[in-house]
Amino acid sequence: MRKLPWHCGVIAATLALAACGGSNSPTSVQSASTSRGTLIENPPLRLASLDAATLQADLSANATGAQLLQLVGTPTCGVDVYYFKFWTVGGAGEATESSGALMVPTGAVSACSGPRPIVLYAHGTDTNKATNLANIADPGNTEGALIAATFAAQGYIVVAPNYAGYDISTLGYHPYLNATQQSDEMIDALAAARTALPNTLSSATSDDGKLFVTGYSQGGYVAMATERALLAAGATVTAAAPMSGPYALEAFGDAIFFGHVDLGATVFAPLLTTSYQHEYGDIYTATTDVYSPTYANGIDTLLPSTTPISTIFADNLLPETALFDSTTPTVTIPNDPALSQELTAALAVPSDPTNPDTPLFDLGFGTSYLITNAYRVSYALDAAADPDGAVPTPSPGVPLAASPPQQTLRKAFYLNDMRYGGWAPTAPTLMCGGGQDPTVFFSVNTGTMQAFWSATPAAPLISVLDVNATPSGPFAPIQQAFQQSQAAELAYYESAAGGGYTPAQAQQLLVEGYHSAVAPFCSLAARSFFSQF
Amino acid sequence: MNRNSLRSLKTAAAASFALAAPLALASPAVAGSTASNELRLGAYLVFYDSSADDLSGPFVPPGVNLKVQNVQTLYAAYIRRLSPHVLVELAFGWPPLTKTQGKGPAALGSVPYNGVVISTARWVSPTLLLNYEFGDPNARLRPYVGLGVNYTTFIDRQSTAAGNAASGGPTQLSLSASVGPAATVGLSYRIAPHWHAYASYAYAQIESDLTANTAGEIRKTHVNFRPSSIILSVGYSF
Repeated sequence: MRKLPWHCGVIAATLALAACGGSNSPTSVQSASTSRGTLIENPPLRLASLDAATLQADLSANATGAQLLQLVGTPTCGVDVYYFKFWTVGGAGEATESSGALMVPTGAVSACSGPRPIVLYAHGTDTNKATNLANIADPGNTEGALIAATFAAQGYIVVAPNYAGYDISTLGYHPYLNATQQSDEMIDALAAARTALPNTLSSATSDDGKLFVTGYSQGGYVAMATERALLAAGATVTAAAPMSGPYALEAFGDAIFFGHVDLGATVFAPLLTTSYQHEYGDIYTATTDVYSPTYANGIDTLLPSTTPISTIFADNLLPETALFDSTTPTVTIPNDPALSQELTAALAVPSDPTNPDTPLFDLGFGTSYLITNAYRVSYALDAAADPDGAVPTPSPGVPLAASPPQQTLRKAFYLNDMRYGGWAPTAPTLMCGGGQDPTVFFSVNTGTMQAFWSATPAAPLISVLDVNATPSGPFAPIQQAFQQSQAAELAYYESAAGGGYTPAQAQQLLVEGYHSAVAPFCSLAARSFFSQF
Repeated sequence: MNRNSLRSLKTAAAASFALAAPLALASPAVAGSTASNELRLGAYLVFYDSSADDLSGPFVPPGVNLKVQNVQTLYAAYIRRLSPHVLVELAFGWPPLTKTQGKGPAALGSVPYNGVVISTARWVSPTLLLNYEFGDPNARLRPYVGLGVNYTTFIDRQSTAAGNAASGGPTQLSLSASVGPAATVGLSYRIAPHWHAYASYAYAQIESDLTANTAGEIRKTHVNFRPSSIILSVGYSF
């Protein structure tokens, strides 16, 4: 404590002037630079400091947290959660602030302090603009709790940005699945977090130089894009584990436009068109070019939002599942009746009774639909003229279309597809997901990337885990645990306590929750994978 | 030297001082053995009955409050006597290190909070009082009452290591200055012709807006200090 100089005290006491009141404890240093990767407040704000026992008690306070701990293990370490702010770029290269969580393991156990590896984590699609992974006290922040319990509480430093367009970021949109921006932002977050680490209240824990990259869903895609960008820049990637990501964007987009509508498509569509409109400027002239008049007005600024998605649906600002018009288009291509007939059939509401996914796909069609038939046809014509190597029929090596598509949305998918540029990982990479995922289809994304790299020198570095497959290999216990938890959940929905649903209703609920249900199992697999290096 | 000549000497001295003194509020009307000027020194025992709003701002859990710890410091005052019964007192305390402790949850996460010293500050708190002394000017024991105004400003504001841990990082504090009424009751006891002993109780209304800045996040509260003071002092008049 600094003592008051005696003369200052006398003068102040006598004259009661504030002139001597200068000695105050300082706050963090605010950076003047706005260049990429700059940490804005150094040190950043610690939002929570939890020892292992308190973290365990806090997580165990609700059923979800207790189940999570049962799966990923009781905390070995305490966790200090920092809320850091940094400069990055938007989808068109514009400077913007973003924020994120820096989770630092703490405690006397040797695996909890000293030099520790970093897990760079990319979060999944979130419609909530106020998303802040660092706000661990928020009961809605389940992904923050998941990464704290899975990684930080087991000795990994976690760096997880909230993404531009969220939280404090003044960017008026989110560069959703923009490979360049999202990987740039991950790298900027990592740089800022590394600047912060030595100055935090938990500086006994430091960066040991190992870097693991992972993320789920949207974040699975971002993790893969980040691995690519880091390797291209010559940076260290010790290993990567992209999880349940929409990697093969062009193939995935084609599958959806040809009627295999995924669960969540009406939310993903406006996020995608807004992002690519900012990146390329050519997706539409007016939103009505893509969207039905019912929803077109304001859709370009609809998401992310501070309004709950349930309210957005209730207010009919978005249809809940109907991506396409249930009155499907008749395609007429002059002088090509065969193709016309083929495309008309391909755009019909799926009706194959032998495909168990048909009821799911059919949810994507309705009378109050999001995307116009005209737009759907323009996409389909482009796909027919210049088909993707994976969809509808996989060709050897499942390559991207030979030349960039003409249709602007499909071209954006092409440029952001993880096959673009013909790269392959040079670091060990585990792609984990659930084979029955109704939201991000496993085979068209993970399967396509696996096939794409299977004939390259990278093949030995690539592992794939389907938690829904017959248990075998090193992750068999995780596969068993996932399948048991699905069976238990189904039984729960059918029980009186779980709502007493019919088997069909219970199955439907299970499908709706499937994508999220896979996340902790794949995260555990990722940690187990990382622990080898 | 007889009593009269002593009186005239004192009157002259007092008059000359009054000309020079910055606090020449009125022409001195000195009677009896009372002189025009007095300096007092003593002990200032300050008892806070502080109350504050719960801290508000980003990421603050409900019920986070604070409490000001009592302090003792040096009391000093200059007295200007206006009449045998009326005097002006300018009192101040040597700026003491005043500690503020957390009040509310036992811990914020795993960081101890309730009862932990989270910040310190020194106050500069002059009080200007108009006092009325009862009884005969020559009496040994004279009760008095006073009313006035207090001004308080806070210097050397420090968030402690424990305070930084609770706030989430290095924290800058600001406290707005306070102006409020003050009152006193006391007893004066004449020890010797120039020497008096005093015991008094004083109360002042001191309120301040506290702003804490941690890594750019601003948390605020309004603190009502409610200081009661016991002052024991000795005065020399001249």
